[in-house]
Amino acid sequence: MATQKTVEWVIDHKFDRRKCRHTMGDVPMVLHCHHYTSNYLRLADDAKDMNGKAIMCKASEAAFLPVFKSYFAQHQIHDLAERVGLIEEYWRMSGMGLLQFERIGAMSAMVRMPRSHADEGWVKKWGKRKDPINFIGQGYLMAAMAAIFDESAGSFSVTETQSIVSGAEASLFTIVRS
Amino acid sequence: MTIDRKVVIESLSKIKVQGNQDGLIPGFGVLVNQLPASLWNNFADMLTNSVGPDMLEPAQYLLRWAGNECGYHTGYGIITSEEWKAVVQPMITKQPDDILHGAFAIFSAWGWAQCEIVELVAAEKMVVRAYDYYESDIVLKGQSRVMSAYMLEGVCAAFFDLAYGKKPYPDGLGTFVCTQTKGIECGDDYGEFVVTRAK
Repeated sequence: MATQKTVEWVIDHKFDRRKCRHTMGDVPMVLHCHHYTSNYLRLADDAKDMNGKAIMCKASEAAFLPVFKSYFAQHQIHDLAERVGLIEEYWRMSGMGLLQFERIGAMSAMVRMPRSHADEGWVKKWGKRKDPINFIGQGYLMAAMAAIFDESAGSFSVTETQSIVSGAEASLFTIVRS
Repeated sequence: MTIDRKVVIESLSKIKVQGNQDGLIPGFGVLVNQLPASLWNNFADMLTNSVGPDMLEPAQYLLRWAGNECGYHTGYGIITSEEWKAVVQPMITKQPDDILHGAFAIFSAWGWAQCEIVELVAAEKMVVRAYDYYESDIVLKGQSRVMSAYMLEGVCAAFFDLAYGKKPYPDGLGTFVCTQTKGIECGDDYGEFVVTRAK
């Protein structure tokens, strides 16, 4: 994997005692469990009339894009391999699983996820299912690609082509420029 | 109440939470994640503003339910954890009231809300006030017509279920319900959450 580079996300964690808020680099952070994640993903999946899956992808992209952009700007990260490494590290650090960019280009990318909080949490709670549920991961990758290439939200679309929740050994995501 | 909130919050807000080599955070009997609060707010806000009036209540119910299950299972994991035994357990003199006070101190330490119990009637009613909570961040200017601290509502009911549920864990969920009566997002000075027995 030519793009891979071992990097460390500098954790600027603070706890505001007055407000009882945790922040990382001024971004308010919150802890949740797989029950919460699974219920949100199920709600997104069930809300077919208003395209709940797309809403969750957008919600995720909108949450992560400013985090990446501001971190890259603040730490002067311009190198593509370093940006990719940081995106992978942030996902691991957040407890969301393991991400591995198998390849990345300006127009497309392929990402492997051998461990996944969303998928494994779902299986733990409700068992396997046929269709993908990791809409948070899809939105995360939309944000990741936009940040890596200094683009705006909505510049990339993501399709999950195989999933841990369906019994695959790893989830796979194909990303293309919109 | 013999729980020293300040000590509990000070101790438990320092716990370092980070994914292991598999990128997972197993703890408190669940898989934990630590994400930007805006992720959950964005989804709840976009969803409730996309549904028609006829579907608003079911959507709100399901958002609340997510908090309910989260609070019940993670709450149980918290009050049976080593961290709890080390910090909170020695302060408990009256059960289950002190357990509830301790659980809400941890609630604050985890960054869910700066909140406390202001009224407690054993097995009947609990009123919680939240002076700051991330779910109110959906309004940056102006006031919402809709109270939208769904997670807080769900978790408050779940904690009361753990303390006074008709059956012990894991079968007591749904004994109580919570209604939000004030909201920072609606222009109030604090959020208020009233837990009562489910009909």
